[in-house]
Amino acid sequence: MNLFNRFILRIKKSTNLRNTSSFAETMELSDEILPSIYTRETDPVYHNESHLNKLYNIPSKDCATILSHGLMNQYKIQLKIFNEMSILIRKPSIELLSYLSKSDYAKPVNKYVIYGECGSGKSTLLYHLLHYGYNTNKIIVYVNHAQYWFTKPKEIKYSEIERNIIDLPIDTRIWLDKFKLLNNHILCQANIKLSKSYKWGTGANFPKDSSLIDLINFGIDQTRYASEIVAALVNELKQASRIGLCNVLVLIDNYNIFFSHYTQIKNSLKKFALTSEFSLTQNFLEITKSDWCNGQIIVTVDTAVNKDRQESHLPRYLLTKEGFEHLDPFLPINVENYSEDEFYTMIDYYKHKKLIRSLTSNGEKELKLLSGYNPYKLMDLCKHL
Amino acid sequence: MSMFMYSKTYFFKPKIVNFIPLRSIKAKVPNTFVNEVDKDGFRILELFPTKIKKTVKYQKSIPIFTGREQKMPVDQDWPTVWPSQKTFQPHSVPLPVRQGYPKPGEGPFSKIANTELMKIPNFLHLTPPAIKRHCEALKQFCTEWPKELDSDAKCTEHFPLEVLYSDYCYSGPSIRDPLSRIITFKVKLSSLKLDYHAKDKILRLAGNRYDYTSDIITIITDRCPMRKQNYDYATYLLIALYHESWRKEDWENEKALADMEYYDWEKNQSKKNLVTIYAWPEIPQDFNYAHIPHAEEYKVAVSELINNGEDEHSINKYKQVVKKLMFFKPEKNHSTESE
Repeated sequence: MNLFNRFILRIKKSTNLRNTSSFAETMELSDEILPSIYTRETDPVYHNESHLNKLYNIPSKDCATILSHGLMNQYKIQLKIFNEMSILIRKPSIELLSYLSKSDYAKPVNKYVIYGECGSGKSTLLYHLLHYGYNTNKIIVYVNHAQYWFTKPKEIKYSEIERNIIDLPIDTRIWLDKFKLLNNHILCQANIKLSKSYKWGTGANFPKDSSLIDLINFGIDQTRYASEIVAALVNELKQASRIGLCNVLVLIDNYNIFFSHYTQIKNSLKKFALTSEFSLTQNFLEITKSDWCNGQIIVTVDTAVNKDRQESHLPRYLLTKEGFEHLDPFLPINVENYSEDEFYTMIDYYKHKKLIRSLTSNGEKELKLLSGYNPYKLMDLCKHL
Repeated sequence: MSMFMYSKTYFFKPKIVNFIPLRSIKAKVPNTFVNEVDKDGFRILELFPTKIKKTVKYQKSIPIFTGREQKMPVDQDWPTVWPSQKTFQPHSVPLPVRQGYPKPGEGPFSKIANTELMKIPNFLHLTPPAIKRHCEALKQFCTEWPKELDSDAKCTEHFPLEVLYSDYCYSGPSIRDPLSRIITFKVKLSSLKLDYHAKDKILRLAGNRYDYTSDIITIITDRCPMRKQNYDYATYLLIALYHESWRKEDWENEKALADMEYYDWEKNQSKKNLVTIYAWPEIPQDFNYAHIPHAEEYKVAVSELINNGEDEHSINKYKQVVKKLMFFKPEKNHSTESE
């Protein structure tokens, strides 16, 4: 009995959103103290070349929703210290936003692959796009930290339908929870009905034309059906966007993990499973197919998640043959390290936030050399002690 | 307690007086036992007698044997001293040679009784004058080098096949060196007459015997006991390899996608993807891409990306082509890029 209680507690802990998105109440900048490094345009829809190399703040009222999927640890601490979520407007994000605004939503989805060196700001770019999707009332299918599903899952279950498929019920449920939190207002507006009836076991019965939110809520309540419900959700989202009920923005961080051969989980044959054996992988590969319209797919590839492939950061190498064939044709977008202007903007930002003080010109030069203009390294060098 | 014990065991109580040391002062006594007398016949009193110096008898040192190398004349004829290969002998070599792992604070061991120097092969018999003499002696058996073959390029052009073998003698029951039977054939691939199919096949047959950097096929034969047999076998292998690569078997037509030596866009998934996207929502019946604009450019870009290897340049080219293929709203000024 005690064990069972502990298990319940563990689930409750894991689903507590405070664990994943803990940040302080952010403060609005008043007009008179707004320095030149900031831009007043806080809506990414209107961002263009004139806002390049400037920072903008995600409004504090949207912050909790937009960042519901959680942040990188380093970011979390910075968010607490700075009391604001600032994003630098960079060239690739402007490029992507222009593509998104002018793409034809009646035709099949366009695919974009963001690549770049480790720590060059690919995931941060996704936050910018996430804010864009939120402001333009799109349903956002956002996946970050997918690598932890294959290394440290909370629970493993072999699928009841197919024995060689592995489900991760708790992780899936957590993802569903975050998905609902991010898209709740749009899901309520769009009022999407199911295109076909679903039935799993005795209790789970969803006839045709029942609400999609009910399906998601059922997945959150009944953890054991979560994997099947994500599959149904992907299917329904594609169906709904085909009809034109909603507009879907798919953002997947570290997408190349789905084509990696490295996991720490053993399958039913007691051998290390491939990532393709997971139901979550199959679902997110399904949504990145180009057989639907009224949506956009943006994924990032990174060397950090794939242990097999470390030599290059270029997309064809990281995606492997299968991944390239799955995504092709896609638009590769390179995220480079900071330019000279961006570097000084960030230095000014850190100075403004008093994270670094009394920095001489020699000190700036040293920071340049040490970081090599790499955003993550610069953040790491300037961080709190 | 201790005091009690003390008083009981010792009757003699030590006093400070008892500890004062007695100093004995030795006065120098004048030497009265002297035999020498002065001119008046008196014995001489020596108050401070002179010390008698000890005479040390030094033994006559035996001359150390300084080896034969010390006595060698400087202008001797060295090839006669060391005519052929032999183990190092310290007294035959007039050189201060040292070898060995030194102890801390010491130098390497000198040449005398040095096993390290004896172990390693030396080339003392191969001094320049010795070689010169060898060559002079061999000259009578040589023929003249053909004048036409004045450069290495001409040599490889007229004699493309290179045969390598070793001719060492073996110091054992039999003088035949076991390595002397091994034959190595080296031939440049470009010197063979091959078409596209034959070249592809010869590379697959040769496998790791072909070196891409130098374009050379190397065949090594060592399975037969005699050199001639190995030579014949290597010749046979080269001929068989050449003729087999020209032959086309029936099963070669069953070449699948995985067997391809290069990326063929027409046969790959990339083409199917493109046609399916443009035919959406219908499912395409035949994968004909003639009606798709910029498909030819895309084909070239993808093939180049995969065949030539991925780099920033090829990715950029791919990006520029895909940008044309993407579904964007027609712009207001009806530019050519609109799709």
